[in-house]
Amino acid sequence: MKPKIAFFDFASCEGCQLAVLNCEDILLDLLNLVDIVEFREAISEKAPRYDVAFVEGSINREKDAVRLREIRARSRVLVALGACACGGNVQARSNALPPVENYDRVYGKDARNRVQVDNEFWPYWTHARVQPIGDVVDVDYYLRGCPIAPGEFAHLVKSLIVGAIPSFPANAVCVECKENGNECVFDHGDTCMGQITWGGCGAVCVNNGYRCDGCRGLLPHANVDAHRALLAERELSPSDIHNRYGLFLSAQTRGKEARV
Amino acid sequence: MRAFVATEHDLTRWLRGLAAKTSVYFPQKTGSRNFRFDRVDGRAEMSFAGYRPTVVPPGRKIAPEREVLFRFRRDEKGRFTVRPTEPEGVQILAGVRPCDLRAIKLMDIALLDGPGDTPYRRRREATAIVAADCLAPCDDFAFCAAVGSLTHRDGADVFLTPLHGDFLVEALTDRGSDLVDGAPFKACANAADRKAEAEAKRAKPFGRQLVASPAALPKIIEKRWASAVWDRSVSRCFSCGTCNVVCPTCYCFDVRDDLDVRDPLSGERTRHWDACMLPQFAAVADGHNFRPTAAARQRHRVKRKFEYLPNRFGEGSYCVGCGRCARQCTAGIDIAGIVNDLAADGEVAS
Repeated sequence: MKPKIAFFDFASCEGCQLAVLNCEDILLDLLNLVDIVEFREAISEKAPRYDVAFVEGSINREKDAVRLREIRARSRVLVALGACACGGNVQARSNALPPVENYDRVYGKDARNRVQVDNEFWPYWTHARVQPIGDVVDVDYYLRGCPIAPGEFAHLVKSLIVGAIPSFPANAVCVECKENGNECVFDHGDTCMGQITWGGCGAVCVNNGYRCDGCRGLLPHANVDAHRALLAERELSPSDIHNRYGLFLSAQTRGKEARV
Repeated sequence: MRAFVATEHDLTRWLRGLAAKTSVYFPQKTGSRNFRFDRVDGRAEMSFAGYRPTVVPPGRKIAPEREVLFRFRRDEKGRFTVRPTEPEGVQILAGVRPCDLRAIKLMDIALLDGPGDTPYRRRREATAIVAADCLAPCDDFAFCAAVGSLTHRDGADVFLTPLHGDFLVEALTDRGSDLVDGAPFKACANAADRKAEAEAKRAKPFGRQLVASPAALPKIIEKRWASAVWDRSVSRCFSCGTCNVVCPTCYCFDVRDDLDVRDPLSGERTRHWDACMLPQFAAVADGHNFRPTAAARQRHRVKRKFEYLPNRFGEGSYCVGCGRCARQCTAGIDIAGIVNDLAADGEVAS
């Protein structure tokens, strides 16, 4: 019997599910190997149990956490799909502000004060913290990146189907960047998060003339102090450094950064 | 040995002619000031004028970053059938510097030792090398002369020496002789004199120096196991593996299976470069890591280059002094500096 696969999304742009649909060269072959039973981006079917659940998005509200736990309970394997699910992504920056200030900034004082007493709206507002899904449930595999690397998605699905152990080495982006023979971003005067960021993307941004912004999250062994010092030596101001780390890595580096 | 004189224009025209028939790789500009061994096509800009060492060394065309070792299929009963990969065609590496030439020699010695590495041997035998001498240090980080790479010639099929505006072209092997057949070069009768004249103009000392000779280093480094230099050298290290990936004599690899999406019971066994500075490199079953700190990994890397492999193969330093690892390290970690610090440090062998 083909494994049942499902896709779910929380706070995200759903771009990682789109990235899955964009694996056009292998998508039809993959569909021969699995049954997709839930996929809001593409189909409307539902199923009671899943062999593999792919979860996109961060957990912002208690009701999301309840739904996520329920998905976990029905899934044999649960995969975090993309930077929001893996590390909280850009929205985790709001964690640095108290929710009342945050709502005020985004919606204005009037709206904030009004919805707090409105049972119809308040449950949708009541998030206090943006969390990666791994803060709420056990996660079996992480597909990192904003968006995910399609090759890693295919590698994981194929490995799960045959019972092989998928490999996502904890290597810096630099490994793949150098393999490609790229000129180092630092060598042409820019700065880069590659040294402290999980690889697996093939250094796609540097290959195409940009730098690494760290969307795949902080490596477990990341030498953050040395990296901040390096950025400072390259004449980035403390607020520039704060913003570099704040873009994709705020959920992982919160509390460890220099105050600005 | 046949010797000729040629202009740079003659040489690039000759290489373009060869490139029409076979794969020719030559350092070409990438980014603002770096070079990469790319395939020569009609539009390739080629110049023998001093270029920095390429980001990755030319030897990686012989030991590539990813290669298929064989294809396999498992049937329903669990039986495997294995199909070897087809050999690739002939390739020419041109514009190879003496440091990289020596690195290829050292790779040959390490990888063809014992039963030998078949895919490497196959590709090495199908590779012709056109090397070019250096009369001035190419980069502030290079210390090729200090480790005996500058005068290395073994392994080149054709060797070029810059003269006044022209180049001396020497065919050192039969294969090299075949390559220069029909080339628009002028025969040179006094090759040895012209070469000696060019070499005499080299800067002395040539580039950076080490405080100890490569022959003395294994004994010195052996006695520095507990040196404080190791810790000091990695305070800024990211363990990003760059120093390994750009090294022309790093040959460690990992093996993985890439499954076929049309039939996941079949696939390719592939080999990928690995890097001993990566934290997981020395992790073994059950999660134990026998080099858990960056300092332990740095010690291993330096000892491989200057102690373990020199002792194992007797071919001198396994660092060729190209300076790539230091040039590319964003943390500014410099292997020549580490070696000099170690030599200056007292004995701490505990």
